[in-house]
Amino acid sequence: MKTVKSLLLRVLRWLVPALCFFSVAQAAEPRHVNMLLVAPSSGEYASHINGVVLGETEANIQGRFMGIDYVLQQVSPDEVSAGGDKPAVVFVAGTAEQLLRIYELYAPQGVAVVNIALADNALREQCHPGLYHTPPSQKMLADAVAQWQQQNPGASVQAMTWHPAFVKFAGRDLNKRYMEQFSVEMDSAAWAGWAASRMVAEAVSRTGSEAPEEIARYLSEDLAFDGQKGVPQTFRSNGQMRQPLLLADASGELLGEAPVRGVADSDDLDSMGILDCD
Amino acid sequence: MKFKTLFGAALLVFAGSAFAQQPSNRLFVTNEEDNTVSVVNAGTLEVEATIEIGNRPRGIGLSPDGSRVYVALGDDDAIGVIDTHSLEVLDHIPAGSDPEAFAVHPNGNLYLSNEDDNLASVLNPETREILAEIPVGIEPEGVGATPDGSRVMVTSESTNMVHVITVPEHEVIAHVLVGARPREITFTQDGHLGYVTSEVAGEIAKFDVATNTIIMTAKLDEIDGVKPKGVLLSPDESTLYVSTGRGNSIAVVDAETLALKNTIPVGTRVWGIALSKDGTRLYACNGVSGTLSVVDTVAGKEIATVEVGSMPWGVVLDD
Repeated sequence: MKTVKSLLLRVLRWLVPALCFFSVAQAAEPRHVNMLLVAPSSGEYASHINGVVLGETEANIQGRFMGIDYVLQQVSPDEVSAGGDKPAVVFVAGTAEQLLRIYELYAPQGVAVVNIALADNALREQCHPGLYHTPPSQKMLADAVAQWQQQNPGASVQAMTWHPAFVKFAGRDLNKRYMEQFSVEMDSAAWAGWAASRMVAEAVSRTGSEAPEEIARYLSEDLAFDGQKGVPQTFRSNGQMRQPLLLADASGELLGEAPVRGVADSDDLDSMGILDCD
Repeated sequence: MKFKTLFGAALLVFAGSAFAQQPSNRLFVTNEEDNTVSVVNAGTLEVEATIEIGNRPRGIGLSPDGSRVYVALGDDDAIGVIDTHSLEVLDHIPAGSDPEAFAVHPNGNLYLSNEDDNLASVLNPETREILAEIPVGIEPEGVGATPDGSRVMVTSESTNMVHVITVPEHEVIAHVLVGARPREITFTQDGHLGYVTSEVAGEIAKFDVATNTIIMTAKLDEIDGVKPKGVLLSPDESTLYVSTGRGNSIAVVDAETLALKNTIPVGTRVWGIALSKDGTRLYACNGVSGTLSVVDTVAGKEIATVEVGSMPWGVVLDD
């Protein structure tokens, strides 16, 4: 009697976990998040594209732990047409004309369209709902320079989104990861692409939804993105991603950050850029 | 005569072994930019020594018997080992790529975060063997072990997760999403609850170990520029002490409700913290000031600062 019971227990001790594993394995089909990247293959946007790809790689490191698979598809602006599957989000690296044409196509479907290349003030002033901008506007860049010059009269500086020598706020780690993947330094264009794909992973992981409308809603209302520039980054109602900026001298040497301490609080991101709509 | 000598000898041996097990009553501080460890007498607050330890020292921890201090040397890919009494540098143990921080498990093994490799490694510091490498998320940083040693948890700063690892199986049984840029985790003595800081989210979260879920979060945004980093529990577990980075203060938080009870100003860019066993003294590294703050937790204020090295990162107290 004792032998049978202990034998039964031994079998159960093996069988139950095995059954559990099997049922989990059966349920392991990942949820797919299809991200569409519209960019010419000409090479002009190579950095932007690299950035989006790095972000997708990193999204999938998190996704692997959550049963989510981020899939990036790249097409040229001419290949974009009305038909085809609805993506979860669209990233665009192109001209303003191309951007707005793609926006007109996808925004009515509830799909967020993200400009990853253009700094045009007009695009922010026009306040297109459902259009997002990860690069800073020309005005943001100009305001950053003005703040720096208020502290340092006569200084010749340029403002930028990212710098390969930036080490603060885990900037060192991001630069390292980009260099390891692409063997070139990470620049402003790459950061704008990276931020776009990483922020989509934020939206999906935190809402639990890959629905385009839910992603767009999260970006507009809830996103507080760690762009590795120290301050959580949110979207303005005109679609601009608020963010700290970096300043370099004429030779490209990194000087510091904006908002510039002493002129504005380091988390006062509205001290730079266009705040209102037309 | 014979008896007296024997007795005397026994007394000496006893005293000798008791001395060896006495805590050194020293604070050890890693200076990330100086590549040194500052040794501060916790009684007199005098800097007793500055030890050249290796490149990019950050995480620091004590062996369970208090005889050794371990130091993570990110740019040397190694763990430095210092004798807490003689202050001799005893070893540099290869520890995988870019070790940033670690937890010392009750069994003496080190669970460390390899920051640029997305790994947590398990190191036996006696045999110098790496026992396991466990894939986690991007930029692993904080590592905490439950007091009973059954769980080790690792935060990954860029993947925004707490990864729960069973010991000794070294299986990852849960990946829990937390606020942006999670830093450190500490546990109650019974191991039922953990507390996690999220730097960029400006949050502290309470973690239920049995279910591997976050059960409560609180933003500390009453504190200007708050960037929660280090977190420790008072001995009676009623209070959390949280270092706030550019918040330049220690947040005193109710462990039950996560409400902010008090804010104690310290130096600039406060990072790693340590608490005395009796809970009356808290020590905090001020990265930008290059100092160690001494806080009287009963009075709720800083009572002294000690000049240490450049960019102090972490501190332990052998008391």
